[in-house]
Amino acid sequence: MAAIETAQRPVVRKPIDWWRWAGRVFLTFLMLFTVLPMAWMILTSVKSQFAAMQYPPQWWPSEPTLNNYFKLLDPTNRIGREFLRYFWNSFYVSLLTTILGVVVAVPAAYAFSRFRFPGRTFLFFSVLVRNMFPAVVFLMPLFLLMRWMGLVNTHGSLILTYLTFGLPLSIWLLKGFYDNIPIQLEQAARIDGATRFQAFILIVMPLSSPGIIATSIFSFIGAWNEYVYAYTFLSRDDQMTLPVGIQRFFTEFATDWPGLMSATFLMSVPVVVLFLVLQKYFVRALTEGAVKH
Amino acid sequence: MAEVVLKDVMKNYGSLYAVNNVSFAVEHGEFVALVGPSGCGKTTTLNLIAGLIPMSGGDIVIGDRVVNDLDPKDRDIAMVFQNYALYPNKSVFKNLAFPLQMRKLPKAEIEAKVMAAAKVLDISHLLERRPRELSGGQQQRVALGRALVRDPAAFLMDEPLSNLDAKLRVAMRSELKRFHHNLNATVIYVTHDQLEAVTMADKMAVMHGGVLQQYDTPANVFGNPVNTFVASFVGSPAMSLIPLDVVSKGTEVALRSPEEGWELPLSPMNARKASASSNGKLVLGARHSTLKLHKSAAAGAAPGKVYTVEPTGDVTFAQIFVNGAVVNISLDPTVAIEPDEAVWIEFDQDRMHLFDGETTMALKAA
Repeated sequence: MAAIETAQRPVVRKPIDWWRWAGRVFLTFLMLFTVLPMAWMILTSVKSQFAAMQYPPQWWPSEPTLNNYFKLLDPTNRIGREFLRYFWNSFYVSLLTTILGVVVAVPAAYAFSRFRFPGRTFLFFSVLVRNMFPAVVFLMPLFLLMRWMGLVNTHGSLILTYLTFGLPLSIWLLKGFYDNIPIQLEQAARIDGATRFQAFILIVMPLSSPGIIATSIFSFIGAWNEYVYAYTFLSRDDQMTLPVGIQRFFTEFATDWPGLMSATFLMSVPVVVLFLVLQKYFVRALTEGAVKH
Repeated sequence: MAEVVLKDVMKNYGSLYAVNNVSFAVEHGEFVALVGPSGCGKTTTLNLIAGLIPMSGGDIVIGDRVVNDLDPKDRDIAMVFQNYALYPNKSVFKNLAFPLQMRKLPKAEIEAKVMAAAKVLDISHLLERRPRELSGGQQQRVALGRALVRDPAAFLMDEPLSNLDAKLRVAMRSELKRFHHNLNATVIYVTHDQLEAVTMADKMAVMHGGVLQQYDTPANVFGNPVNTFVASFVGSPAMSLIPLDVVSKGTEVALRSPEEGWELPLSPMNARKASASSNGKLVLGARHSTLKLHKSAAAGAAPGKVYTVEPTGDVTFAQIFVNGAVVNISLDPTVAIEPDEAVWIEFDQDRMHLFDGETTMALKAA
């Protein structure tokens, strides 16, 4: 009987795929690694100063409070006024960096992709030279340069610096997008009555919008998070950007951890929102259906 | 509609001449095919006519204007691309309307023209779709429609059928021909497929290495190829070319196989042509349908050896080695021959072609 039973229901034992499991374990660790600090940041931000310093720590706040957020977003008190000013400074610098970056990177990338001119390869690789060195290497030279140009203590110095760092990546990324747009589309537009510029604006630009959005996010985040240059170039309080300004929560005698954490959380909001809203552009197929492959 | 004239048109990239001194005239309402193997300069020539790349020299006239320095948009031409180049972010309607919008036509007129073109091409039900939602044949029609809405001076087409499957290609070929007939449009059509050129065109321009080899009606190109390149390029299967020596005995002139020693006497007309050969060598050309196969030695026939036999149903093609060269011959399917069989090929003296052994140009009777 037993033999017959085995014959009827053969035991199918799939071999355990150890690689797959190793991958899952790795991803779980990676997730904990990234999510735990975020979770702890949010939890701390809704604690009172006393609760935040308790030992052993309160894993879950016993009396959650949003007071820290109210304080930061209330322009009537000093802390709120400063925080909102830093926030605005950061936003203003990042936005200008992004806009200027796109304005420069789009035509540059298009030119690298479409035109053959003397020195093209040399220029194209020389935009990468900046990326071969750590940012700190340029700190002193740039500071001296900014002082010579009278730009120290202005947001202009930051915008210029961020552009220097952001543009190479933007140009390379966008060139890839333009390379993928068939040149026949522009040729067709030009024959259909468009000037070269109109063909670019009406046909190529809409097709490269996912690329433009992706590069915008990169340069916005780069500028938004930057610390060292902002710390070096700016000394006046009212000009500070958020990463530098947040330091003010470390005072001589005590650190306002809940306040620092809520400020950090608020600082991460624009970046997260940007990603969530625009992430579909990262994956959208570019010229699907444009040409038959 | 208008005529298009090319005069000594040149395009070079450094020392590489992509288009070298090409001149031809396309008359009003003519369908001209630019044909040649890949890299022969036919697409470059078309792009020069369109103004998409700058010329290195020469003149191009469209209608009554020299367009050498005009932008593509000002040349009053329409173009159909090999990959269709439909605007992927626009609906079919907007694709068709784009050339009219660029010319700032009133909205009502644009709509009327687009509808009319869509009706002609049978794509009225597709107007709201995006290009990627269409089949290859439908995309092709939209591309044609975008050229059609505008009533341009000339249509330029760059291998418009090469992305379609074989069956659809034949169907679209007839439609294009009908479309040309109905519109009486000036069309310049680039293709690498000599069959497309022969079947559709009023005239064909055969190009090779950037140089225009022959510009004539398909019948003349087929019947009187100017050189061995044109002879072997046009027609399928290709014209067979056999290199031979010229030998004269008194008034008689014959061709002799340098390797196998057999001789082929020539008719008086062909003898006069052969005497014009520059170095005593020439290339004998013959189309498959003009050849006769003998199973035993016959007068005026050259010995050969069967290589392959390819039955296609109503006709059987055979490849036969004659003097080391491959000779294509078409046979009645009832003729039974085997590979490696010894056969004799008889040439039709009135329909054979003689080319100079050195210059490869067709020989003329002196």
